[in-house]
Amino acid sequence: MKERKTEVRFFTIMQWEEEQAYLQRRHRQGWALDRVSAQCVYHFTRCEPEEVVYQLDYNQEGLRQKEDYVQMFTDCGWEYIQDCMGYCYFRKPKADMREDEEGIFCDDASRLDLILRIFRGRMVPLLFIFALMILPQLYIHRHVETVWDAILVGMFGLLLILYLWVFTSFAHKLWQYRTSIRP
Amino acid sequence: MDAHIRKVYVPMTETGFYILLCLRSETHGYGIVQQVETLTGGEIHLSPGTLYGSLSKMEKDGLIRLVREEEKRKVYTITPLGTEVLELEMKRIERLYHTMQEVRKR
Repeated sequence: MKERKTEVRFFTIMQWEEEQAYLQRRHRQGWALDRVSAQCVYHFTRCEPEEVVYQLDYNQEGLRQKEDYVQMFTDCGWEYIQDCMGYCYFRKPKADMREDEEGIFCDDASRLDLILRIFRGRMVPLLFIFALMILPQLYIHRHVETVWDAILVGMFGLLLILYLWVFTSFAHKLWQYRTSIRP
Repeated sequence: MDAHIRKVYVPMTETGFYILLCLRSETHGYGIVQQVETLTGGEIHLSPGTLYGSLSKMEKDGLIRLVREEEKRKVYTITPLGTEVLELEMKRIERLYHTMQEVRKR
């Protein structure tokens, strides 16, 4: 029976690079990712410690035509692990790489495209919830008269802060990429 | 050629250029990766995420088209519009090269 373990980690929509680094670190410590469930539960199996690069792609079009999509990655030596909430998990041992820092993207234009796909697929729905639910609720309950009002305002106030933080981190990431791209 | 195509593809990314160059004869994504490696003496490796994104964008914009599927791999070929864009890009690169040579000689 192989040794297994489960960890819970939270990464926001924009933190796929941190997630990749976390999975690479675990593999280096001898824990290979089996699967991710419920977006934040990571299941690992004991393995030989190894430098393995983990990469996430977000491509809904690719998932609709999964066979061809996964095949292209497999052909290029990337092992497909699974998809979760539109994100696809791939890995490749460093020993199999020609360059030291090989990734699933090789130019800035396609890295920017990834951010824009995530924006359309994951941020736009959030913006809708924000504009149609959180803001109106705060407006409706702006005169705090009862305890119920206070609870609602507190709750939606917290959501407002959380959403604003998510939007700001997205804008920051986009800005970082834009400025890192050569003119 | 409409303004959108011109804006997006002239000039185009190196990946885009190699895709069109290779698709003058039909092949699948990995075929492009292999050809580019051979053509550039192993200097340039296209990555699957970048390649997949470029292929689907170019197919949508009508620069390339799907010919058939071969063992889970989509085989593409260049269209007349794609050829037109590739010609424009080749001329641009030639001009760039000649200008560079001229300036170098001075």
